[in-house]
Amino acid sequence: MAALHRPALPLPRRLGVPRLSGSLRGRTVILGASMLVIGIALLQVNQFSRLASTGYQINELNRERAARQAENHDLEAQVASLSSLARVDWEARTRLHMEPAQQRLYISINHPLPQRQALPTRFLPQPKPAPEAPAPAAHGDTIWERLLKLLPF
Amino acid sequence: MFGQRGRMNARLITLAAIFTIGGVALSARVVYIQAFNTERYQAEARDEHFGQQEVRAPRGAILDRNGYPLATTVDAYDVHVNRADWQDIDAARRAAELIAPLIGAKPNDLVNEVRKEKTGLYLAYAGLDFDKGTSLHDADAPGLRLIQTTKRFYPEGDIASTLLGFVGRDHAGLTGIEADFDRELGGIPGTVYFERDSIGNRIALGSERVGQKPRPGGNIRLTIDRYLQRLVEGELDTQLAKTGALGGSIIVMDPKTGEVLAMASRPGFTLSRLDLNNPNQALFRNRAVTDVYEPGSVFKTLTAAMAVDQGLVTPETTYVDTGAAYIGPSTIRNWDYSANGTTTVTQLLQRSLNTGAVWLGSLVGPENFYAYVQRFGLGQATGIGLGGEPDGLVRPNTDPSWSEVDLATNSFGQGIAATPLQMITAISAFANHGKLMRPYIVKEMDTPEGPRAFSPVVVRQVVKEETANTVADMMNRVVEGFPGHLAAIRGYHVAGKTGTTTGATLADGAVRDGNVASFVGFAPVADPKMIMLVKLDFKEDRLGGQVSAPVFAILAPSILAYLGVRPDGPQLVSTTH
Repeated sequence: MAALHRPALPLPRRLGVPRLSGSLRGRTVILGASMLVIGIALLQVNQFSRLASTGYQINELNRERAARQAENHDLEAQVASLSSLARVDWEARTRLHMEPAQQRLYISINHPLPQRQALPTRFLPQPKPAPEAPAPAAHGDTIWERLLKLLPF
Repeated sequence: MFGQRGRMNARLITLAAIFTIGGVALSARVVYIQAFNTERYQAEARDEHFGQQEVRAPRGAILDRNGYPLATTVDAYDVHVNRADWQDIDAARRAAELIAPLIGAKPNDLVNEVRKEKTGLYLAYAGLDFDKGTSLHDADAPGLRLIQTTKRFYPEGDIASTLLGFVGRDHAGLTGIEADFDRELGGIPGTVYFERDSIGNRIALGSERVGQKPRPGGNIRLTIDRYLQRLVEGELDTQLAKTGALGGSIIVMDPKTGEVLAMASRPGFTLSRLDLNNPNQALFRNRAVTDVYEPGSVFKTLTAAMAVDQGLVTPETTYVDTGAAYIGPSTIRNWDYSANGTTTVTQLLQRSLNTGAVWLGSLVGPENFYAYVQRFGLGQATGIGLGGEPDGLVRPNTDPSWSEVDLATNSFGQGIAATPLQMITAISAFANHGKLMRPYIVKEMDTPEGPRAFSPVVVRQVVKEETANTVADMMNRVVEGFPGHLAAIRGYHVAGKTGTTTGATLADGAVRDGNVASFVGFAPVADPKMIMLVKLDFKEDRLGGQVSAPVFAILAPSILAYLGVRPDGPQLVSTTH
């Protein structure tokens, strides 16, 4: 009876393996989930930062394009100004010391007239624009788009 | 206990019901917003989140006949200062030191002007050159706001100012070609939508969408030649300074096509020193098109043409000039009070006899006379397409107040009024085998509907070809029949007629008894390539033959040489092979 009531030898303790196993699995899941969340967050941050950076670059490029166009217009205006009659007259009188003709001599020349000086392109008839080429392949796809493309469906 | 629990349940149920009803109502509202009234709320949300800005379309250029720009558009900046940022006096002074030199202002004056008010934007300078604006942009002065814009630029300087006109601050044409062809030049503005914050300011890196791209304005190519325009304006200014004339107009046209090659009028304005606050708006008129005058003796060529065309006279037909013509109680005398005896029609024109014109007018008769006047295009706008062109003043015999004296005075160009453009157009018919051309000044233009080109338009055959040639020959004898005519030029045969009108109202009503001295001539007579009208306005008496004919003689050789017209005189030409 006594023996009956003797407490049994304690079973070799498995050092809480089931508990450890459950805890580890839980931690792994939590870790995994955290990693996933952090990963997604990082992707999101990366995405936003790239978006902001691209937006900034676009703005900068637009600004630069506008500046270049303005410079172009300015240069064309300078060309027009430099080929103006007032300037030609001034150059002829001051630099070349020319004076208005007092006597005219007319000479007939059997030779075609030289071509007129080309005007600034802005004032010439514009050729028809070529049809736009299709957009290049997904070269600049976002990470999301690249990930989505990996999916089998 | 039960009762208490029951009351609690009832309260909970009531609360739950309230929440449920509230929830259902909110859900219904959400469904209504999302599903039934989507577009309206989307639009409201867009309006809230996105601002809209109009993007001005670049204005088209005005080119001369060879494509050289007379007026074009360049980029510029409007310089604004945010008044709130300049309330700190030290910051304001620092910024003013950077800004003021570039806009030609004194720093202290600028600071004082900006600080007059505490909020809002102050426009410090409109249309700052692009390079200066860029350096200001780089300077990054506190409170500085640079807004990119455009401004009109005139590469050829101030030439053709009254013809070209100008644009206002909103870049809409206000006078001249700029106003008359504003639709074609102005283009169609575009729209840009940008993301904005809660107080409406643009978010620097926010999204931006182009709603509608601005469509640039089209270019307009005129028939005006910049060389001829400059030549004509220079000579007009010289003559005004030399003779003391109050004003004047010179028009050069191709008589065969009606193309206006040059058109100058004074008084006018200078584009480089344009003052829109000047109350004298009359300065902005293109008087060659808008102002009428009594053509005087130039009109005698038309009267002679009528009589010749009707077969009533030939150049050699004679009449006896007694020095006076009596029409009822009125007596009409020659301008020099001369009596010339037996005189031919050609001599009548050479001596510019009023009595002779009265005689011719009476031969033609009022019915035919006014029919011809109408056929020559007087009393109606030419249709050149420039704003402010009047019909002119003609009192035909159908008018109840008309009398025979009107026919008599009209026959030598008085009591009838026309614009310089109408007169040169009418006389052009003699240089173009009797065909009246519609004058035009725009050669080509880009319209919103596509490019449009203009070509010569024959309005009508005014007189027979033989009549036109006969009158041209008589006009040639006016210039070359007597030695020493001041319109005669070496190397080319010229046809022309002088005109002088006394008692004219000039200088916009300031001068009541003024004098208009004019000359219309074309060359070479055998195959006319250009016709020119010179009109000068004086306070005192001057004769067209003395002051206007010499202007023709100065300008015509240069114009004909420029047009490549071979001189009639073979001694001046040498040929190379």
